[in-house]
Amino acid sequence: MIVIRPLAAVAATAALVLAGPALAADVRIATEGAYAPWNYLDDNGELAGYEIDLGNEVCARAGVECEWVINEWDSIIPNLQAGNYDVIMAGMSITDERMEMIDFSEAYFPPDPSRYIALAGAEFDFDALSGAKIGAQGATIQAAYAEENFGDGNTILTYELPDQSVADLAAGNIDIIIADGSYLEPIVEGSDGAMVFVGPDVMIGGGVGAGTRKDSADLNAAISAALVSIKEDGTLDKLMVEYFGEAAAFPE
Amino acid sequence: MLDALIAWSGGAFGEDWAARLSYLTNGKHLAWYASVRFTLIAAFAGAAIAVLCGLLGAAALRSGLAPLRWLGTLYITMVRGIPDVLFFLFFPLAFEQAVEWVMAQRLCGAEVLASSTSWPPCQAAQWYLGTGEYLALACVSLGIVYGAFAANVINGAMTAVPRGQLEAAVAYGFTQRQVFWRFQVRQMWIYALPGLSNVWMLLLKATSLLSLLQIQDMVLWANRIGAPNYIARVGTVHGDWRWRYYLALFVFYILLTLVSEYLFRRLSARAGRGMAIG
Amino acid sequence: MSLLADSAVVETARALAKPALFNIYFALASIPLGFPFALALAIGRDSRVKLIALLCRGYIYAFRGSPLFIQFFMVYSVMLAFNLEYWKPLGIDHIVLHPLFLGPLVLVLNTAAYGAEIFSGALKAVPSGQLEAARAVGMSRFQIFRSVTWPNALRIAWPAYTNEVVFLFHATALVYFTLPVIDNQKDLMNMAGELFERDYNVFLHYSVAAGYFLVISALIFWLAGLVYKRLTRHLDPQARTGMRMRPNYLR
Repeated sequence: MIVIRPLAAVAATAALVLAGPALAADVRIATEGAYAPWNYLDDNGELAGYEIDLGNEVCARAGVECEWVINEWDSIIPNLQAGNYDVIMAGMSITDERMEMIDFSEAYFPPDPSRYIALAGAEFDFDALSGAKIGAQGATIQAAYAEENFGDGNTILTYELPDQSVADLAAGNIDIIIADGSYLEPIVEGSDGAMVFVGPDVMIGGGVGAGTRKDSADLNAAISAALVSIKEDGTLDKLMVEYFGEAAAFPE
Repeated sequence: MLDALIAWSGGAFGEDWAARLSYLTNGKHLAWYASVRFTLIAAFAGAAIAVLCGLLGAAALRSGLAPLRWLGTLYITMVRGIPDVLFFLFFPLAFEQAVEWVMAQRLCGAEVLASSTSWPPCQAAQWYLGTGEYLALACVSLGIVYGAFAANVINGAMTAVPRGQLEAAVAYGFTQRQVFWRFQVRQMWIYALPGLSNVWMLLLKATSLLSLLQIQDMVLWANRIGAPNYIARVGTVHGDWRWRYYLALFVFYILLTLVSEYLFRRLSARAGRGMAIG
Repeated sequence: MSLLADSAVVETARALAKPALFNIYFALASIPLGFPFALALAIGRDSRVKLIALLCRGYIYAFRGSPLFIQFFMVYSVMLAFNLEYWKPLGIDHIVLHPLFLGPLVLVLNTAAYGAEIFSGALKAVPSGQLEAARAVGMSRFQIFRSVTWPNALRIAWPAYTNEVVFLFHATALVYFTLPVIDNQKDLMNMAGELFERDYNVFLHYSVAAGYFLVISALIFWLAGLVYKRLTRHLDPQARTGMRMRPNYLR
């Protein structure tokens, strides 16, 4: 019965949100569609992944009609600001820098350590890294981190899409990738030993949340309320286990 | 022949051809094939707008009013000096902001307009851009850019119409207006066709930029399908296959060029019937 | 929006100055190879050896008939696929996969095809009387090419080739849409996009970037015009046509 009350609150807020802007008949959620298992295009060409299932559940509980939009990562915040969609769910870590531009909902993924991967057999001294080619996706917290910590003496390559960096690592064009651990884990697992984790884990960002414009506080509240109810009834943990493995869970 | 083809396809992918066929017809691939519609829409609609802009531009260039002539010259000079991709990115963004500004003046209250720091000032002035809107804006961008080239071609073709024919028309008692529309403009097309075919080829190639406007076109799908995948639940596990898909796009565009060339040759031959031009 | 505020324009212009050098670099690095390659293709295209002619024509058709945007993606992904087998063992992977190498490489492949078409037309337009005269005084085939065919062809091709160089310069805007960005090596498009993402002032940043392209394009036309004047200084002034920044020659 705990679920019922937040649900009612969510529905009420959602109704408010919908009554507001005349043009927003439904809520548009932007994602990248190239960040498995968070969000990706499956073999049917359909969007799938943790955030897609979660986002649909949020919309169902908030009682709103949602539409998914694919947008390239590096323009995903500007296009939110420009109003091409209302929400970002694209594995975006909550950081102070981003909070200056947009609002974040309640986190739906705990702080995820960033990790390094390399081709099997390569060895690096992360305390005195030099001469290495380090790949990261552009406009990510990892790209900024790499620039700050390894910018001197190493080469930092930034890519439009995360899988481009993986392709470049597999082809030997870069030595190391730094990215979210949750993104790299299934890749390392699926690479049959070709790629391995190296070096330390580093904690860079906060948790992952849905991004909204500063002027849509009502929508943000509705999403957060739905997320709370999804967390409380255990649905979130179920989804996390489904996509990130048995060990995954949202800490209380 | 078929056996060889199957053997080749089996050899190329290391799988049997049926598996390969089913891979090439999975939903992701079908979506890729279907995305050709964006390319074709952008090419045809862009071309139509380009011809329109070209006619307007040529009219401005040939106008008796000096300011109009300057405007025409400014138009084609600007386009000549700026890369198409820059305009392609700039125009939709600028147009969106301009529309939102106009909507804000009408829909947001005066105090909101004065105090708001975000853009647009109020929610009501928000203009949502989806694939459809982006596609329309892309068509207009292409039309404006290649319209400048078309303007130059059309302007040249107008000049190329033999003066004697126009003088003869005047001598037969046609009015200035009739001479212009029935003789100069009608004949102009024949002289403009080779140049316009060239503009069409440029425009066709520029349609490859659609993915920059968040349109899920052939380039975006090629990129997504070809990217390496290591996760079984996501789909077929494979290494980096992007080069195959880009190669396919490379060949596809060459075929489009071949077909266009053939069609323009036919069109030229048809338009040139009874004309004394080589 | 402080669209007309001088300081904002100056600030953006300053931020875009270094990125503009990358566009200039890509164009400048492509011409020394693109020019001779185009000439070779133009000659090969009409070779009496059928195979050479066929290969050259096929090459020109393919690279003129497909978008540069896709050529960039294609060449990068193909080069990447060869990395572990060839470039790495040879120890040249740091060079061949670097955007500062790969960018000009693709631009050369592309501009050579367009340039070949220009040179091919120019070579055919060399006045036959001059060639006959050269033969009559007993020049060898090489001598004829060097002292008659080439100077004439260059002069005939110059305005169109200038136009091609401007197209090439504009094409540099595509490099970093397709290749990875290394450290702070960003071009005009990159930087304008980045500035735009900070304050959403599309008019300011993209206009200034466009201004750079406009000014440099005009500079190319002007410089090429000076050269053209020199190339045609012996001709009757009536026969000379000026060079203007207008799309007179389509790519």
